[in-house]
Amino acid sequence: MRRTVLSTLALAGTAVLLGAGPAFADGSTPSPVPSAASPTTRPAESAEPTRAPEPTRPPAEDEPTRAPAEDQVSVRPSGAPDTGVTTVSDSGTGGTAIGAGAAAVLALGGGTVFVVRRRRASGA
Amino acid sequence: MSAFSRRAFTAGGLASLLTACGGHDTTRQDTTRHAGAARGPGTTASPAPSDRARPLARSVPVRLLVPAIGVDTPVVRLGLAADGTVQVPPVTDHDRAGWYRHSPTPGETGPSVLLGHVTVGPYGDGVFRHLARLHRDDRIVARLENGTAAQFAVTAVRTVPKTDFPADDVYGNVGRPELRLITCGGARTGDGYADNVIVFAALSGAKSPTSGER
Repeated sequence: MRRTVLSTLALAGTAVLLGAGPAFADGSTPSPVPSAASPTTRPAESAEPTRAPEPTRPPAEDEPTRAPAEDQVSVRPSGAPDTGVTTVSDSGTGGTAIGAGAAAVLALGGGTVFVVRRRRASGA
Repeated sequence: MSAFSRRAFTAGGLASLLTACGGHDTTRQDTTRHAGAARGPGTTASPAPSDRARPLARSVPVRLLVPAIGVDTPVVRLGLAADGTVQVPPVTDHDRAGWYRHSPTPGETGPSVLLGHVTVGPYGDGVFRHLARLHRDDRIVARLENGTAAQFAVTAVRTVPKTDFPADDVYGNVGRPELRLITCGGARTGDGYADNVIVFAALSGAKSPTSGER
């Protein structure tokens, strides 16, 4: 009787060891780093058709890469952008000065004409 | 064989069966982890900013933010001037940045080109007055019409003579979403500047309107 129980326990222990065996089947020492080749995983991967998008992942490069597509900038401007105006204020004040001068000349001329006519009228 | 020993034998058999099933599951988990780990080095071998930042749908930019230099400006659309050069934003007080509409929108694959003035004549400094102070990895955000915020990281800042403007580098095709911020710089020459300051940036992420920030 006791022998039967012992033999049953021994059988169960052996079964536990056999069951735990596959957990270490990947390598002699369990390591967090997967074996690079891992040929056992490759066939499984090829068996999965849903892995197809993987090749479409673009080659991730840090530096800008030239793409052989059509021009992304559809119309390429010529020359360099002129994105700084420094002395427009000068030309602006210059224009203002010219306008003010012209107005002054006109006013002076008009006044002179007015005075001359007035004198002529009073003299006559 | 007694009843007890039969029961014990059955229990042992069940235990071995259960253990075998458990061991099989463990093996499958390892395979999955290995598959994931095998994919890992492929992505970590290169810094892969493009993995984090997939191209966005086309949507025109409406606002530009460059926190490092205090830029927070609406964005106008620009085309070509009569002489074939790129249009620039109007010279006004509180001038704005402009997006060159023949370039990709920010977040699309390709170089999205935005321009702004460094100075605006009688109105003083322009919206891009401190553009040359940007550094690598500084953040740029372009808010798009569809509510998405495209986030970019500066990759390079270049000051180049206008006589030697690097059109290929600025307007040439690229394989990922990138950004170009352009203004003037360098020595003053009459009513303009001798150089251009160009900031190159790459898409680093995006926030959709559903993610909260708007």
